Amino acid sequence: MIVAERKPFDEIKESIQDYKKVLVVGCGTCVAVCLTGGEKEVGVLSAELKLSQKAESAPAVFGEATVQRQCDFEFLDEIKDIVGEYDALLSMACGAGIQFLAERYPEIPVFPAVDTTFIGVNKDVGWYEERCRACGSCALAMTGGICPVTMCAKSLFNGPCGGTNQGSCEINKDQPCAWYMIHERLSKQGRLDNIMKICPPNDWRNQTPQTLIQPGYEERIESSK
Amino acid sequence: MNTKQQNDVETIDMATDIAVIGGGYVGLKAASQISENGYNVILAPHNDTDVNFSRLNVPSTEIDRLKALEKEVADNTNVEILPASTLVEATGVPGNFTLKFLSADTVVEKKAGAVVVASDTAVNPLNHIYGLNPAANVVSLSELENLLASEETKKEIQTGEKTVAFLVGFAHEGSPVLMKRILNSVSEIVGLDGCSAYVYVNNIKVADDGLERLYKQCRDNGAIYFKLEKAPTVKQENESLTVSFHDPVIRKDIELNPDIIVYEESLTADEANLCLAETLRIDLGPMGFLQKENVHRLPVSSNREGIFVVGSARDVQSLSKSFADVDNMVLRVKQLIGDGTKSIPAKAVVDREKCTICLTCYRCCPHGAISWDDKAIISSVACQGCGICASECPMDAIQLVDFTDDEMADRIKEAAAVTAANTPKIVAFCCQNSAYEAGLAAKAFNYELPAGLQLIKVPCAGKIDIHYILDALVEGADGVLVLACHHGNCKSESGNTYAQWRINDAYRKLAQVGIEKDRLEFATLASNMASGFARIVIDMEKRIGQKKD
Ligand code: SF4
Ligand code: SF4
Ligand code: SF4
Ligand code: SF4
Repeated sequence: MIVAERKPFDEIKESIQDYKKVLVVGCGTCVAVCLTGGEKEVGVLSAELKLSQKAESAPAVFGEATVQRQCDFEFLDEIKDIVGEYDALLSMACGAGIQFLAERYPEIPVFPAVDTTFIGVNKDVGWYEERCRACGSCALAMTGGICPVTMCAKSLFNGPCGGTNQGSCEINKDQPCAWYMIHERLSKQGRLDNIMKICPPNDWRNQTPQTLIQPGYEERIESSK
Repeated sequence: MNTKQQNDVETIDMATDIAVIGGGYVGLKAASQISENGYNVILAPHNDTDVNFSRLNVPSTEIDRLKALEKEVADNTNVEILPASTLVEATGVPGNFTLKFLSADTVVEKKAGAVVVASDTAVNPLNHIYGLNPAANVVSLSELENLLASEETKKEIQTGEKTVAFLVGFAHEGSPVLMKRILNSVSEIVGLDGCSAYVYVNNIKVADDGLERLYKQCRDNGAIYFKLEKAPTVKQENESLTVSFHDPVIRKDIELNPDIIVYEESLTADEANLCLAETLRIDLGPMGFLQKENVHRLPVSSNREGIFVVGSARDVQSLSKSFADVDNMVLRVKQLIGDGTKSIPAKAVVDREKCTICLTCYRCCPHGAISWDDKAIISSVACQGCGICASECPMDAIQLVDFTDDEMADRIKEAAAVTAANTPKIVAFCCQNSAYEAGLAAKAFNYELPAGLQLIKVPCAGKIDIHYILDALVEGADGVLVLACHHGNCKSESGNTYAQWRINDAYRKLAQVGIEKDRLEFATLASNMASGFARIVIDMEKRIGQKKD
């Protein structure tokens, strides 16, 4: 699933401050599942916007709509009869969905309400971990099902580097070394010869895998540790 | 928000086989009594059906009765015994559980309407704490009980005119259940002509029916108690045993040579409980027992409907208390399963068009009431109507039949619209099991309450959606209170915890939109706390009233 994170409220507020009628548009798929942009979050964000505008003399009007997926024109069509009433759209979908919404309704300015963060897995309610960087040439067959692009800090395709340290990555003791994990998994499966084959390296920016824990679920996760 | 509301009454076929997990004496009793009530039983003893009857406070007079029970269950054609079995998978809902057991190396699948967990206690010998090695004359309490249970070995003790030393309470806290067993054995020993008993004891646990009397009776019959601060020194050289200690009464060092030393044992939860809890998705309570400390679980409920915990599965218990559990459990099974059909109105319904099958509801439901096909499904039998799922669903796809989002929105609008001159408007979301009752009582007792106070009843604090809190403020409330049950008192175990988490999330959001923190407050109450209720609401009125001026 695509994981996204709500933008800081001030940033959202500032981006739409010149508009008087704003439609908040949710997406009922990935961003709903990661509790960022489904119907509930659309309601909560509009309530927050309404609250912050209460003091103002002519507060803006906020509408709410959630479609199944913003990355499909068919679903985006479902709001065609109401978008005309608004002078801006605030999308809670991932970057792909936001762009598609903007493309479907090019005459109306579209603003993002979320930051699209990664492709990841669901560890528990409100807790997600990155697993894939959509590199375009998946290496998982060679690596025992562990992604070297995401899990290795240097995205090495033929690791490990000299910094591997008893199972940890040199950048941080809490960060497991991807190639150590790959070695362990392949060895368990009797496929260690895979590691000797040369994988053409990819040229990606170095990044460490990211984890998103929704602020509202920090206590839940803390308490279940 | 959703407008869909269904009032469907579902008629459900309930499986009338009942699974009993654990083949100890409580499991046998459960199997026997359930079958007496006309249900078939699947009895799944953990490892063997051999029961050490002497283990748990069973007077020797009861042993014959228990042996008869064992035979009766073995001969009962309505009880199917799965020997040496382990539960490996449990799916489904009350009335229709599918259980997979690994029994004698094969996987057996069974349907059951309800599950009764009757795991044994684990008995842990504590000889190592006294530096003792088990030997013919150094025995555990259970071993002594076995010796006394057989006429032959009992005679040996008597003809040998043995002196028996009991070590009690230095190795662990102990419990009345254990104390009773020890005293029963002491009583038997002093009852044998020529035998004597010395009891070295730290803390005497006599907080149970008749224990104090038994304690005195043993003393009157010749047992000698040494109440010591610390354990006596025990020496075990070949066959010879020496117990030395300082007697605080006569203030002298004393050395005695008993013929037999009996060391204590501790009773702990069955280790299998851990796996059972996980497989059955029921809560693990303190010390590895299968019941949380929550008044709503008493006597035999788990957090899931249709899964009952009896006897030592839920606590260290005496035989009579365990058998009382069995009686209670049978009543609950009859209530739930009846004659095999049940008509039950849904408390919560899923809008299948909106559901995006994120599994949030499944993961959050404290009663294990949710499963799924291609969408979430709520079992009407299992659902307790707490609304936690509805408040967590990211698509607002779940509606409680009696508390729909639309009705709640209207209620919030109404409450926030009520005005009383110059006083703040306070909307208090109150759990109907505690704070709502406390609020009504505060009114009935004429406590001073804010003129601008409006109560909104919710089935459980878990139903208080963060959206409701923000909405109340949007609609014009000056302050919002979220009032839940005390910790450990929530009927749905974690409704109050969810409410607390949401409040903390709401604080973050309010800070971002520039609303003061003290306009929102979370507190816990019991239903009889009328004055506590009054104090909380008046405090809030004062606090935000000052801001208004
Ligand atoms: S728009 Fe983005 S978030 Fe929504 S379904 Fe498509 S990929 Fe997922
Ligand atoms: S190699 Fe890694 S980043 Fe590339 S597609 Fe596979 S999982 Fe995704
Ligand atoms: S929480 Fe809502 S969307 Fe998610 S599975 Fe349950 S009903 Fe469906
Ligand atoms: S209302 Fe409560 S008990 Fe019923 S399904 Fe939802 S979370 Fe479970």
